[in-house]
Amino acid sequence: MTKKLKAFYGLPEKVKFCKICVISNQRPSSTIEFKNTAEEKKKVINFDDNGVCSACKYHEEKEMGIDWIARDKKLVELLAKFKSNDGSYDVIVPGSGGKDSAFTAHLLKYKYGMTPLTVTWAPHLYTDIGIQNFHEWMHEGGLDNILYTPNGKLHREMTKNAFHNLLHPFQPFIVGQRIIGPALAKKFGVKLVMYGENQAEYGNAVEENLNPIMNMDFFSSENALNMKFGGISMSEYIANGNYSKGDFLPYIAPNKQDLLDAGIEVHYLGYYVKWDPQECYYYAVDNTGFQANPERTEGTYSKYSSIDDKIDPFHYFTTLIKFGIGRCTYDAAQEVRNDKITRDEAAYLVKKYDVEFPAKYFTEFLSYIDTSEDEFWATVNRHRSPHLWKNIDGQWALRHTVSKDGTDD
Amino acid sequence: MTVIAIVDYDIGNIRSISNSLVAEGVTVLITSDKIKLLSADGVILPGVGSFKHGMDKLRELKLDIVIRDYVKSGKPLLGICLGMQLLFTSSEEFGETEGLNIIHGLVKKLQLNNDEEFKLPHVNWNSIHTASLSWEESILKNITAGSEVYFVHSYAVLPSVDKNILSTTMYSNNQFISAVQRGNVYGCQFHPEKSGTVGLTIMNNFIEICRG
Amino acid sequence: MANKRVIARIDVKNEFAIKGIQLEGLRKVGDPNEMAIKYYHEGADEIIFMDAVAAYYDRNSLSELILKATENVFIPITVGGGIRTIQDISSALKSGADKVAINTQATKDPSFITKSASIFGSQCIVGSIEAKKIHNNKWEVFVDNGREPTGIDVIDWVKKLEVLGVGEIILTSIDKEGTKKGFDLDLIKAVSEEIQVPLIVCGGAGNYTHIENVLAQKFVDGIAIASVLHYNLLQINNLKLDLYNKNIKVRI
Repeated sequence: MTKKLKAFYGLPEKVKFCKICVISNQRPSSTIEFKNTAEEKKKVINFDDNGVCSACKYHEEKEMGIDWIARDKKLVELLAKFKSNDGSYDVIVPGSGGKDSAFTAHLLKYKYGMTPLTVTWAPHLYTDIGIQNFHEWMHEGGLDNILYTPNGKLHREMTKNAFHNLLHPFQPFIVGQRIIGPALAKKFGVKLVMYGENQAEYGNAVEENLNPIMNMDFFSSENALNMKFGGISMSEYIANGNYSKGDFLPYIAPNKQDLLDAGIEVHYLGYYVKWDPQECYYYAVDNTGFQANPERTEGTYSKYSSIDDKIDPFHYFTTLIKFGIGRCTYDAAQEVRNDKITRDEAAYLVKKYDVEFPAKYFTEFLSYIDTSEDEFWATVNRHRSPHLWKNIDGQWALRHTVSKDGTDD
Repeated sequence: MTVIAIVDYDIGNIRSISNSLVAEGVTVLITSDKIKLLSADGVILPGVGSFKHGMDKLRELKLDIVIRDYVKSGKPLLGICLGMQLLFTSSEEFGETEGLNIIHGLVKKLQLNNDEEFKLPHVNWNSIHTASLSWEESILKNITAGSEVYFVHSYAVLPSVDKNILSTTMYSNNQFISAVQRGNVYGCQFHPEKSGTVGLTIMNNFIEICRG
Repeated sequence: MANKRVIARIDVKNEFAIKGIQLEGLRKVGDPNEMAIKYYHEGADEIIFMDAVAAYYDRNSLSELILKATENVFIPITVGGGIRTIQDISSALKSGADKVAINTQATKDPSFITKSASIFGSQCIVGSIEAKKIHNNKWEVFVDNGREPTGIDVIDWVKKLEVLGVGEIILTSIDKEGTKKGFDLDLIKAVSEEIQVPLIVCGGAGNYTHIENVLAQKFVDGIAIASVLHYNLLQINNLKLDLYNKNIKVRI
């Protein structure tokens, strides 16, 4: 009689892999980060009765069911509503100068004639290639930018707490990244915020794709003091004596009603333009001086995706620990959907690269979160859900893999 | 049906040669079988790589004897690249190695002047020029003098007799022999199967000679 | 002056020709066999087929493509990507390739070059180098289709490859390839001064001037071009006429 294995985070107990791409049913959907606690039950990507994930279904829809000419018309109409006639900024484009924001900002300016202001929520620790691409975005791409860097000490402490309490070191980054668009739109008196890709492309609720305006809960909040960072509320940080409310300003979302009153709208370019991440790479190289990572990104086979933050590899690594799928799974799933590789090829790549440990910036990461190597592994191992991981003679192995060669497959 | 046999001794780009012989009424055999070779209407001896290795393989398969016997019949033979070199008396590559001695002469390394621009191996397209022999009744029929063909070699043949020289080519300001003929035995240092339309014409000429 | 060679390079993934930038990206650009035939008729001196994903999938799979291509393309064909064993070379040559280009395996086991050259002849063995600039006048050898650094200096490696017995070198600038912004002239100069075997350079051609400047150099024997051809920015016959008019000797 097999013992029933506990599933952490309220994840589905039975692990399944999409029949078309390689994503698993453990993939978490986007969360309202500042409500994120360790006990929270995760929402995950949906699989239909045929074992196909919602991202693949959305992709099918993208290929067959959407009239992109009509969408482009809608985009032109939308932009006409907001276009300035005095040269002032008329759209905020949040991003880091990676392929997606490079594509979005450049397209809006040079194809659609808008006057974008790009705004960047600073990475925790810029990689060399990241900062080079960021500069080239301005110098080659011909764009304006504001770089907003939050209090480094607080940011580090939040990251440390997020790592140990939630195994989610990227959380402080994500909080700010979601807020910066609308927040700076309000500050600059700009009404339109345009993100690139809709996260629904990757398996958030499909209905979201039909409505281009983001769920405002992602970035607005009623009572700031209840916001949690690294699982610890703002009021607790303040009570511990190190910080005041002012230190948290960069993380406090604008008031929902204020945003509505100011007429601010948030859209995804991915709703109006048929999105292909690899094509964004080509576009960015041709137009904004973007360069891929000089070498293969750890944990995957590609060189063009998410390469600007030294913490980023640990974001993917912790995803692997909590949900059993790593960076390669994400990259490969996307490329299967966009018809760059076959599912068999994707599975092969996942087997080869998914569990690769990101050694390159490990020492820097430990130093950044003021954690020893032993403490790192203690935290990591504490977060391995029994239904995903098995310990065999001191070595951890996945129970289920897309290649069906997990310990329990 | 005209049967052209390509000697299979495990050396040389046989497939390309075979592909270049596609024509009406022509069957191509790739074989090391004595009977099939001796009864063919035409034989092609391909080859790339070292002279010694080539001769060793031929001897191992007793094809050196078969080829000499075939030539005695007077039927057409075409040696390509190393295949041409093997027809000669001997080569100085890796010390002296004896060849088939079907055409008298030696095989020697290409001479380079001290011009660093010219390198070995000679890997390039280069032009073939007439010598004393007319091209009219040869595999070079209807080829314009100066046409370019593809070479890849470090050694070249030196026939003892001028009248065996069919074409010459310049490399590093030195002339070398790029094609030979002795009766119905032909040799090209270049690769006609890799020389575009010029090469295809040469292969076709050989087919016509085999049709008789 | 010897002829300068204009070589068409076709990167392949399964049944598609693809074209990346800086050896990244798998954008499909056509049918590789059709493209080879087109470039052959336009006057290409050689064709290079590179298996762009051999490193990913630990395989090489161009045999069928070569078989098909050699039925209609009568110029030399070089095959690269995932050539790891003597058997791989033998299969490639039997399928109709004339030369094989070797990169990754040579860095793992340099004796592989010597062994291959002694069996097949060095004229068959092309040393393929993917070079990434690390700082002024210093380039590093990369492998696995521009993915993995090796710590090996490019100039040292070029000299070593010659000693090991390659017949030619094809040198690709990772930084420039696919960008159409011009070749890495410093890299080419640094390598060509050290080299005794023929040198083919690849990576960055965008227009006639780029190509003229590189082929005018004494120690460069040829160029391999891809993006400019696949995106129809120029045609080989017109390019050759231009080169001829600029006193650069090419086969017309």
